[in-house]
Amino acid sequence: MTTWEGLLFGIGFVTQPEVLIYCFLGVVLGTFVGVLPGIGAMAAISLLLPITYYITPEAALIMLAGVYYGAQYGGAVASILLRLPGTPQSAVTTLDGYPMAQSGRAGVALFTAMASSFVGSVIGIIVLVMLAGWLSRAATAFGAADYAAMMILGLVAASTIGTARPAKGFAMVTLGLLLGCIGTDVNSGAQRFTFGQTELLDGINLVALAMGLFGVAEVIANVRNPDRQSVAARIGLRRLMPTRGDLRRMVPPMLRGSALGSFFGALPGTGSTLSSFLSYSMERRIARQPERFGTGAVEGVAGPESANNSAAITAFAPTLTLGIPGDPIMALLLGALVIHGIQPGPMMLEARPEMFWGLVASFGIGNLLLLILNLPLIGIWVAMLRIPFNYLYPAILVFLCLGVYSVRGLTFDIVAVAGIGLAGYLLAIARFSPALLLLGFVLGPLIETNLRRAFLISRGDPMVFLERPIAAGFVIATVALLLLPVWQAWRRRGAGSRL
Amino acid sequence: MQRDWPDILGGLLLAAIGAGAALWAAMYYDLGSLRRMGPGFFPVALGAVLFLLGLVVALPALARTADAPKIEPATAIAVLAAIVIFAFSLSRLGLAGATAVTVLVATLPAPRKGWVWRIVLAAALTVLTVLVFSVGLRMTLPVWPRLS
Amino acid sequence: MRIRFTRRMALAGAVALTAVPAFGQDAWPTGPVRVFVGFPAGSSPDVLARIVTDQLAQRLGQPIVIENRPGAGGVIGVQQMLVSAGDGHTFGTTINGPLTTAQRMMDSTGFDVETDILPVTLIATSPLVLAVSADSDMDDLESFIAAAGADIEAIAYGSVGQGSGAHLTAELFATEAGVSMLHVPFTSYAEVTTSILGGEIDAGFMAPSAALPFVEAGTMRMLGITSAEPFAQAPDVPLIAGNAGLPDDFRAELWNAFIAPAGTDAATIERLNTEIADILADPAVQEQLVTIGWQAAPGTPDDLRARIADDTAMWGAVIDRVETQ
Repeated sequence: MTTWEGLLFGIGFVTQPEVLIYCFLGVVLGTFVGVLPGIGAMAAISLLLPITYYITPEAALIMLAGVYYGAQYGGAVASILLRLPGTPQSAVTTLDGYPMAQSGRAGVALFTAMASSFVGSVIGIIVLVMLAGWLSRAATAFGAADYAAMMILGLVAASTIGTARPAKGFAMVTLGLLLGCIGTDVNSGAQRFTFGQTELLDGINLVALAMGLFGVAEVIANVRNPDRQSVAARIGLRRLMPTRGDLRRMVPPMLRGSALGSFFGALPGTGSTLSSFLSYSMERRIARQPERFGTGAVEGVAGPESANNSAAITAFAPTLTLGIPGDPIMALLLGALVIHGIQPGPMMLEARPEMFWGLVASFGIGNLLLLILNLPLIGIWVAMLRIPFNYLYPAILVFLCLGVYSVRGLTFDIVAVAGIGLAGYLLAIARFSPALLLLGFVLGPLIETNLRRAFLISRGDPMVFLERPIAAGFVIATVALLLLPVWQAWRRRGAGSRL
Repeated sequence: MQRDWPDILGGLLLAAIGAGAALWAAMYYDLGSLRRMGPGFFPVALGAVLFLLGLVVALPALARTADAPKIEPATAIAVLAAIVIFAFSLSRLGLAGATAVTVLVATLPAPRKGWVWRIVLAAALTVLTVLVFSVGLRMTLPVWPRLS
Repeated sequence: MRIRFTRRMALAGAVALTAVPAFGQDAWPTGPVRVFVGFPAGSSPDVLARIVTDQLAQRLGQPIVIENRPGAGGVIGVQQMLVSAGDGHTFGTTINGPLTTAQRMMDSTGFDVETDILPVTLIATSPLVLAVSADSDMDDLESFIAAAGADIEAIAYGSVGQGSGAHLTAELFATEAGVSMLHVPFTSYAEVTTSILGGEIDAGFMAPSAALPFVEAGTMRMLGITSAEPFAQAPDVPLIAGNAGLPDDFRAELWNAFIAPAGTDAATIERLNTEIADILADPAVQEQLVTIGWQAAPGTPDDLRARIADDTAMWGAVIDRVETQ
């Protein structure tokens, strides 16, 4: 099947009413659970899994995938309006989206997030269709040393965002890396910093960490804050739509973010997280007025949102062409196929082309549905800010507790939210960036296992980081990034002396 | 204006966490070699780096002044207590009971006076959570308090 | 996340109306039955539990709610079953790890297999296959052992973590074959597969269902299987037992069992055991299990008790060797 035949076939497949219905159900449910703090795509897909026994595997996959990318749209809403990110990607969106909402530009922030998500998805789809085979080869070409080097580059590039003093940023990333060590060590089986708690054997629950650091800390800080009580007064209907200046500012970050996301998304693991952080730090680096970032810059929402959505699409490349899931959600989607007796693997594409093309076409139609559905909803979402905070915050607390509980069904995780919330409140008072802590926490275990694995496989030879071309490239880029400020300072001094 | 206490205390706290983690890991976990790094290698290295970064944050701050931050211990205690109460009452009081109690505790620090709105809010949110999570999302939580 | 089968519930309710008189003297079950699974929804142990409980619910005339409590290699699921026990309607399905090796691998599991858990029945077993890249020179067990034995740790193999079934099976194999291999732990078979295809590591002991698609695509090769008899999902793979100088009784299988908390009525255990044995005798159920990589293997509660004791001893000896290395 050629690309065009495939696409035509896929569109024909998805526009069958019964398939379209499941696609629609998936994206609507995805948006809804994405808005609920803590209930992410993972929990929603687990909930829906039994229902998929009764429908065809193609429809099941299309619906569950719809939940997955639909939840990204919904997640942006909770992050921008309430500072309740359920994932590290959405944590990046809070950096500028939340200040925008607080200054009365919630409608513009939501529009930016949705338009960027749509553009990111569309570019992701194009890349997936044109380069699926190439992306999958890239995924297997990356070895342990390459991953370790890539993630270290990501950490170094991102660790100065969201904070005025670099040392505080690095300290938060390091604290996150250290928290990531909690739990069972993959390489040795040792139980680190678990203090006899079985609930800690798989580490701190990521959703509990995000909800505590952002949601709970924000609630405590605002209960008696008169500014927060009067956000409603700053919202005018005329501010719902972006100005021409906003539009002009958001387009280039969208394209750059989509490019980053499309590439990193295909790499198993953290493509989505890494690309949204990288996109944010890139936008801030190339901005004319980097000081606007963190106070409500449109670019700070547009870049990361398009990055994480295009990454969500290209993540399907290794999943569909090789049958190798890059993250737990992809593994769950493949699990849904297994229930139907379909063995995911490299032969699936040949054996069931309708699956691939149907899914790809459903991405396009699903994202279009999401845009059509969500743009008119912006007004309703923004109206949520009109609810007095007195009434809103108890609801936030109950909902976020239930969201955390939905992940593993453990009381321990809700209690952990309280402890993490206290830490988050103190960090917020001292102006430490919780987003960087989250980044370190997510990347830490991956860096550690890949680094240790690289040394294990190379039998202890550090040259592996220079002999493998991919790893060497990332190492050189990291060194360049670290030397850049030094070089800039030297050039400025040189220019000064010539004058 | 006063000394930059948030950075001083925050930096020192991070340095203490780093030193503590590094020492604990060095005592209890194997460091290993470069070829076969043990479970202690990363925590010790990260703890040491955090210790240094904590000092880098704290020491320069000694010479700085900053606005005093506003801290609200009472609000923090009420909100955190509400979460803990929710955690432990969920299985005994059911979703409805736990939500009602949690909302009542959480609204304690709210600036608006009176108790009628608190009770109305608790009732409304109880209905909402039961509808969303039990009826809508079909989480199999007990809804009502366990009588036995 | 807890999941409820509503349509099944309606069906089960209908069955209950007709089933109650037949079991009139037998009060149990008087309400919904809960089954704890220590793995997330959609995972292989979860799907297995759903296939069995689906039929079980109809036979018992009561709905069955699957409670997924993933974590710590299945240990959290067993713990949560014990925490919720006491009503006579709480059970669990678990893989072998929490009942056999977890006590050795973890500081504390919080339960004692002998006193806290009553075996109901073994449900199914799954062997592992020794897989290598199709590009490698090794095309049978002899050449693999020759390549591995030529130099200490010449062969690097991937597992799904220190102390995992894949790791312990590989070490058991290494001891029996007299070779020494470099162990590289990963977190999932997907990662192991990527690393084998990328040429980073040489081999892996993998679940047959994880390796088969790549064998069919011609990118991987299976050199041997750890079961005592040919496995339905991969009947052509030679047994490791009795091959290339390995002992005839070589056997390393993962298994999945139905368990009850201590204090459960003996009659209840008996009833569950018979019902599950009947369910597993159904060829349609057996076929469903094979597609997800499991072979039905019902038995008595005492069979399961003996299997737990045997495997605890066998893997304990392997762990002793790994720890002294």
